Amino acid sequence: MQLGTRKLLDRAFTALGFGSIAMMGLMLLVVLVPIVGNGIGAIVFRGTVEHRRMLYNEFHRGDAGRLKLELAESDAARSEVYGMLDRFEAEMAGMDAVRREEYRPKYEQVQGALRALLGPLPHDEAPALARLKYGQTRWDKAEERLHDLLFEKVWDYSNPDEMAKSYEVSRSAAFKGTSLVKLFPYVENNIDRLLQPRWTLYWGFITDSSIDAHFFGGVWPEIQGTLFLALGAMLFAFPLGVIAAVYFTEYARDGFLTSLLRSANSTLAGVPSIVFGLFGLTFFINTLKVSESKSVLAGSLTLALMILPTIIRSAEEAILAVPKTYKEASLGLGATKWHTIITVILPAALPGILTGGVISLGRAAGETAPIIFTAAVSVGSDIGLADVFSSPTQALSWNIYNLASEHEAAAEIRHVQYGMVLALISIVMLLNMTAIILRARISKKLKG
Amino acid sequence: MNGEAQATEGRSPAFVVSPLRRSLQKATKTAGHSLLFLVAAFVAVIVLFIFFFVARDAVPFFQIKGFSEFFTDTRWYPADDPPVFGALAIIYGSLMVTAGSAVIAIPMGISAAICLSDVLPFSVRQYVKPVIEMLAAVPSVAFGFFALVIFAPMLQNYGGTLLMWAWWLIASPLLLLASLVLSEIAAARFPDEKRRKLMQRSLLALFGTASLGLLFVIGRNLQAIEIVTGTNALNVSIILGFMALPTIVSVAEDALQAVGRDMREGSYALGATRAETIVKIILPAASSGILAGVILGIMRALGETMVVWMASGNSSHIPDPWFNYLDSIRTLTATIAGDMGEADQVTGSARFHVLFAMGLLLLVISFISNFISERIVVRQRKVLSGQ
Amino acid sequence: MTPSPEATSSPNRSAREFYLPPERRKVEGGGVPHVSAKNFSIYYGEFEAVKKVSADIPAKYVTAIIGPSGCGKSTFLRSINRMNDLLPNCHTTGSLMFDGQDVYGKFTDEVLLRKKIGMVFQKPNPFPKSIFDNIAYGPRLHGIRDKKTLDGIVEKSLRKAALWDEVCDRLDKNALGMSGGQQQRLCFARTLAVEPEILLLDEPTSALDPKATAKIEDLIQELRGSYTIMIVTHNMQQASRISDSTMFFYEGRLVEHASTAQLFTNPKDQMTEDYITGRFS
Repeated sequence: MQLGTRKLLDRAFTALGFGSIAMMGLMLLVVLVPIVGNGIGAIVFRGTVEHRRMLYNEFHRGDAGRLKLELAESDAARSEVYGMLDRFEAEMAGMDAVRREEYRPKYEQVQGALRALLGPLPHDEAPALARLKYGQTRWDKAEERLHDLLFEKVWDYSNPDEMAKSYEVSRSAAFKGTSLVKLFPYVENNIDRLLQPRWTLYWGFITDSSIDAHFFGGVWPEIQGTLFLALGAMLFAFPLGVIAAVYFTEYARDGFLTSLLRSANSTLAGVPSIVFGLFGLTFFINTLKVSESKSVLAGSLTLALMILPTIIRSAEEAILAVPKTYKEASLGLGATKWHTIITVILPAALPGILTGGVISLGRAAGETAPIIFTAAVSVGSDIGLADVFSSPTQALSWNIYNLASEHEAAAEIRHVQYGMVLALISIVMLLNMTAIILRARISKKLKG
Repeated sequence: MNGEAQATEGRSPAFVVSPLRRSLQKATKTAGHSLLFLVAAFVAVIVLFIFFFVARDAVPFFQIKGFSEFFTDTRWYPADDPPVFGALAIIYGSLMVTAGSAVIAIPMGISAAICLSDVLPFSVRQYVKPVIEMLAAVPSVAFGFFALVIFAPMLQNYGGTLLMWAWWLIASPLLLLASLVLSEIAAARFPDEKRRKLMQRSLLALFGTASLGLLFVIGRNLQAIEIVTGTNALNVSIILGFMALPTIVSVAEDALQAVGRDMREGSYALGATRAETIVKIILPAASSGILAGVILGIMRALGETMVVWMASGNSSHIPDPWFNYLDSIRTLTATIAGDMGEADQVTGSARFHVLFAMGLLLLVISFISNFISERIVVRQRKVLSGQ
Repeated sequence: MTPSPEATSSPNRSAREFYLPPERRKVEGGGVPHVSAKNFSIYYGEFEAVKKVSADIPAKYVTAIIGPSGCGKSTFLRSINRMNDLLPNCHTTGSLMFDGQDVYGKFTDEVLLRKKIGMVFQKPNPFPKSIFDNIAYGPRLHGIRDKKTLDGIVEKSLRKAALWDEVCDRLDKNALGMSGGQQQRLCFARTLAVEPEILLLDEPTSALDPKATAKIEDLIQELRGSYTIMIVTHNMQQASRISDSTMFFYEGRLVEHASTAQLFTNPKDQMTEDYITGRFS
C-alpha cells in the first residue's frame, strides 16, 4: 500500500477513536441536558395565582395579604367570565330543544376547558381530588390549556387508507351569533389578570410531601426513602467490604480457597440486578422474614449485597496502593500486624476506600430493580427513621418509573418526573464528583 | 544452660515469653484470622444462597409445567385459563436487544479504549475518564426515562430522518475509505507505475461513484421508513449500548495497557503506523482481555431491567421479520419486574415461580459468562507474564 | 541496657579483642557478641538466600555489611528482627541468638523482639501523620499515653537524631512535607523513641543526596557506643568511614568478617579483595 493511504488509514483510525469518545460525551450531554433543563423547571417556573392559592391552602405557606389582593384582582376578571357563562346558559334556556342539544356538548367542552384552566366553576360541587380543586398552577401548562379552550382538535377520517390526521378549529366559530362568542377573546386577552403568572422559586419541590399522587407538592418522601435505602445498604456493606478487603490483601495466601473466594466476588458482581430483587424477596422477606412484606430493611440488605463486590474491590485497590514501607516501618517499631492495619494501613488507604464507598453509595441510590420487590411503593405515608424495619418506602428511582410509566396522568406531570430524575441524578452525580475529586487529591498526594 | 539463664536475668524484658503466653498469642491470632476469613467467605456464601434460593423457587414451575413449553412456545399468556408460559419470544427479545447493544457498544468501546490508551496524551485522558465514569454512574432509571420520554417520541416522529443521518454519518467515511483501499489493492497487480496510477484513479472514481450511489439510495430508503412506535428494540438497543460502553472501555483499556511499551516500540521501529501497530500487534496481544471486557459489558445489557421495562414496548412476540428492530419486544428482566406485581406472591402459583425460572436462567447465563471472562483474563495475564 | 558482667566474662570474650579496630576509640561495655548466628540459613521456598552464616556481632559497635546486590546481605539484616516473616514461604535453619535468646525460637514474641531491634529502611518512610505523631507512634504502641512523657520522649529522640533544632517549632506539621534527609533522620528518631538495643540500617543513605548522607553518617557516629548498629551499604567508602567491623557477603555466603581496618587494608579472601578493589560489583 502507498504511504499516503497508510497515513490516511491511520488518521481515520484515530478519528474513529476520537469519534467514539465524542459520542460518549455527546450521549452524556443528550441525556443530561434535557433532564437538567426540564428538571430545573420543576423548581423554577412561572407560577400562577392558583399555585400560590394551593400552597397557602395545602401547605400554609405564602404571603396571605398579597394573595388576597391577587385573588381579588383575579376574581374580578373571573366574575366577568362566569357572568358570560351564566348569560349563555340563560340564552340556552330560551332556545328551542334541537338547537339547545346542538350547543350542549360544545358548551360542556368549554366548561371543561375552563375548569382545567381556572379551577372549579362557581356552581360546581366541591371536588374531592386536589387536582380538581385548583386551576393550572404552572404558566406553561396554563398556556396549553388556554389553547385547548380556544381551539378544538378535530380528526379527519376522510382518507381510509392513511392514518387520520388532526387539525384545529376555533371554538368561537361554533358559537357564532351567541353571547358566548365574547368569552374567547376575553379570556385570551385577560389571561394574565385571570392567572397572575409570576416567576416562582419553589424550594418546596425538594422539601414537601406530594399531594394527590404528585399533582402538587414535592418529592421529599422519595428523596428521604432513597437516602434511607442507600445509607442502610452502606451500613451493612461498607464494614463487611472493608474487612473482607483487609483479609484479601493482608491475610489471604495464594491458593485454591482464595481464588475461589475471589471468583465468588466477581460472580456476585455479575449477577443481574433484578435477580438480586428476586433473591431479596425469596430470602429476606419470604424465608428470613426480616419484615412482614416490603420494608426499607429488606431493600437495604438486598442493595448491600449488590454493592458489596464493588466495595471490596475498591478497598482492596486502596489498601494495595498504600506503600509497603509504611507497613515495614510500623512492624519494625514493634507493632502487631493488627495494630499496623488499624493505625497505619487503613488510615492511609481511607481516601481510596471512601472513594469506592461513595461510588457504591451512588449506585445504591440509583438502582431500581433490587428494590421493586423488596422495598419500594409508589404511594404511602412519609416514614420516619423508626419505621425502617417494618415499612416500605417511596424512592426516587422507583417513583420515576412509576410516574412515567404507570401514572394515570403521566403526561400531565412531566415536570414532576423531570424534577425527580434531576434530584436522583444530582445525588448520584454529586457523590461521583466527590469520588473523582477525592481520587485526584490522592494521586496528587502520592506523587508528593 | 545455667549460664544462659543467668545471662537472661537482669536485662530489659525478654522477647522470649512463656509458652502459655505464646500459645495464647497464637490462639488470638488464629481466632482473628478465622474471623476475617469468615467475613471474606460471606460473599461466597451469598453467591451460593442466591443460586439456591432462586433455584428453590424456580423448580416448582418446572415441576408443574415441564421444560418444553417454557423454552419452545412463543405464547405468553400467564393470566389465561389455562395459562400459557411460553418464554421463547421473551428470551428472543432479551437476546435481540443484547445483540443490538453489542453491535453499538463493541466497535465504539474498543476504539474508545484504544484512543484512551494509545492516542490521547495523559493530560487529556484525565478529563475523558471522568466523562466515562459519569456515563457509568447515570442511574438506569434515568436512562429509561430518557428512552421513554425523550428518545421514543423523537424516534416516532423523526425516525426515518434520524436513521438516514446515522447511516450517512457512519457509512460515508467507511465506504469512501473502503473504495480507496480496494482500488489500490486492485491496481497493485500492475507492475508499470504509470498504468498502475491510471488504473487506480479510474477504479477509485468507479468505486467512489458506486458508494455514493449506495449511500444515497439506502439513505432515501431509510428516510422513507415510518416508525410506528418509538418504544422498540432499536431504542432500547441504542441506550443499552451506551450503558455497556463504560465497562467495555475500562476493561479493554486495562488490557491494552497491560501489553506494555516494548511491543509498541518494536513495531514503530519497523516503520509501522500507529494504526498498523495497534491492529496487527497490540489488539491481538490484548484480544483476550478485550474479549473479557466485551463479555462483561454485554452482560450488563442482558441484565439491565429499567430501560427495557420502560422503553421496549413490552409486547411478547418475535418481531416480523425476525430482525425487525423497529418492533416492540419484551425481555426476561422486564417480565420479571413487571409480572411480579400481578403474580400471587404467597400461594406459589406457576405464575409466581415462572419468574424465578427466568431469574435462574439469567443467573446461569451471567455465571457462565463471568466464569469465561475470568478464565480469559487469567490466561492473558499468564501469557503476558510469560508463564 | 548495659550487658551484665556475666555476659562480658563469657567464653566468647575473645571476640572483643578480635573485632576492636585499634585506631578507634574503645567503647565501654562494648564488643561482646550481641547477636550471634550459627550455621544460619534463610530460604525463600526452595531457594537458599543466606547460606550457613556463622558470625558474632559486637555490641555497641558499628558493623557494616557489604557485598554485591543479591548477595543476601539485606535478607540477613532483615532476618535479625524477623521482618522476613512478612514474606510468604520464608523459613530459616540454624540458630540466631540475640542476647542469648533464640530469635527464631518457639516462644519468641516477634513484636517484643522488634521493639528491641529497631530498623531504618532504604527509603525514608515516615507515616503520613504529623512529626510528633510519627515519633510518638512507637511509645504509644507500647502503652505510653501520658502527654508529658510523650513530649519528653519526642524531644529526646529528636535531639538524638539531631533534628530537634530544625523541627521543634513545627511538630504538628505533616512529616511528608520535610526534605528527604530530614525524613530519614525522623525515621531514626522514630526508631530511637522505642529505645531499642540494636539499630538495623538497610542502606539508609542510598536515597539521599551527599549532604544529607553526611548528616546521617554523623548521626551514626553519635549513636555509636550507645547502640549496636548494623548497616547494609553499597558504598564501600561509607563502610570504611563509619564501621568498626565489616562483613562481606557473596552469593549468600559470609565470605569474610573482620575489623574494618583489616578487611579494607588486608583482606584474607581473594574474593573480598576483588570486590573492594572494584574488580566486580
